[in-house]
Amino acid sequence: MSVFTSTLEALTRQRGVRASLIVSESDGLIIDARLRYGQDGERVAALAASLYRKARLSASAARLGSVAFLQLDAERGRICAAGRPLHWTPDGAIGSDLVIVVVADPAANVGLIRMELLKAVETLA
Amino acid sequence: MVDDIRRWSDELAHDPSSLVFLQLGEALRRQGQLDVALKIALRGLERHSHDVAAHDLVARIAVDRRDFMRAVEEWEIVLRLQPEHLGAMKGLGYISFRQGRLDDAERFLARAADGGAGTAVTNALETVRRSSGGAAESWLASDEIQPNDLNDSNVSNDPNESTDASDPSHSDDPNDPQRLFADLLVDDGQTALLLDANGFVLGGIYMDGDGMDVSQEIGAQLCGISEEVVRAMRHLDIGDWGSITFETHAAVIAMAPQTDGALVVVAASRATPLGLLRRLLDRCGERAASWIGAGGRES
Repeated sequence: MSVFTSTLEALTRQRGVRASLIVSESDGLIIDARLRYGQDGERVAALAASLYRKARLSASAARLGSVAFLQLDAERGRICAAGRPLHWTPDGAIGSDLVIVVVADPAANVGLIRMELLKAVETLA
Repeated sequence: MVDDIRRWSDELAHDPSSLVFLQLGEALRRQGQLDVALKIALRGLERHSHDVAAHDLVARIAVDRRDFMRAVEEWEIVLRLQPEHLGAMKGLGYISFRQGRLDDAERFLARAADGGAGTAVTNALETVRRSSGGAAESWLASDEIQPNDLNDSNVSNDPNESTDASDPSHSDDPNDPQRLFADLLVDDGQTALLLDANGFVLGGIYMDGDGMDVSQEIGAQLCGISEEVVRAMRHLDIGDWGSITFETHAAVIAMAPQTDGALVVVAASRATPLGLLRRLLDRCGERAASWIGAGGRES
């Protein structure tokens, strides 16, 4: 049990979700995960973190602001990720380098997954 | 950048009188965190009320916030403190032009040009001098002066820069590649680009919130994401990628691959539903495929 257990379980309960992970964006390591049998969590974590980081940096460089949600659609699956990037407020630096990643079937309801992800990301420190 | 912001933030917290607020405010401005950037800059200005750079920073943040009155006030202070400040002259020239005060725009730009502001300002000045109607609009839409590029460090000295950059969004030529997606974009906030495998723009146009053409910059930056996606796809065994969509605090963006490594990028305001954005991406993808198939012409 970790502080993220209920968050990940709520995500994994969504129809079509194969895996849900909390990943450190900076090094791609898993903090906690709920995986279906056969899922290579470490590989998914590393690649999803790298992708999210690249999207965040590119969007920032293009002055589009920080990325809140990302969705990648492929022939045999979908990856959704959401994070709460570090940013500055008058009270100091807030945010986290943690990213929540969901791997889902192509037919999964992305709208529901997105809502759950954005809700879950608020629980990140 | 995040590391820098954190470091500067810590430094400022440790020493509130530090001038590091200038770097922190500028970094936040460039990230689009304008409200926070303004707070940082104003707090710094309270402690350094005669600091030219602090007033200049507040002015540039104000321009990004479309608060032109505040920007004018700050740049006027800058010129009182440092009459030869090129950034303030360019900024005041820009705002004067936006507000239709061409005589003032000419006066400020002439001073900046005399001060060695570079070819871009000289060209802009020539355009303002011969401005009437369309020519003035062209200058405003060109990249020669942008509100985000008003600091001295961004003065261009490129002798090849042209003054003839017309506003592509106003082109009526149906074969103009920049109008490739024009009839598909139904909302002012929507924009679309077709990029080649190297991130160079093949067609379409990306306008920022100020109506500036930032296609090349956006294309170059976003192209890197597709490279990362391809790398991820090779390892994840979920087939070829069809699209990637991401939401930022400023916009929603979707991209899809085309033949020969080309990429279609569409963007819309943050308020646009993702489903609508995906439909727009599909339509732009079809248009791009047909355009590429026809050798770069409308089929």
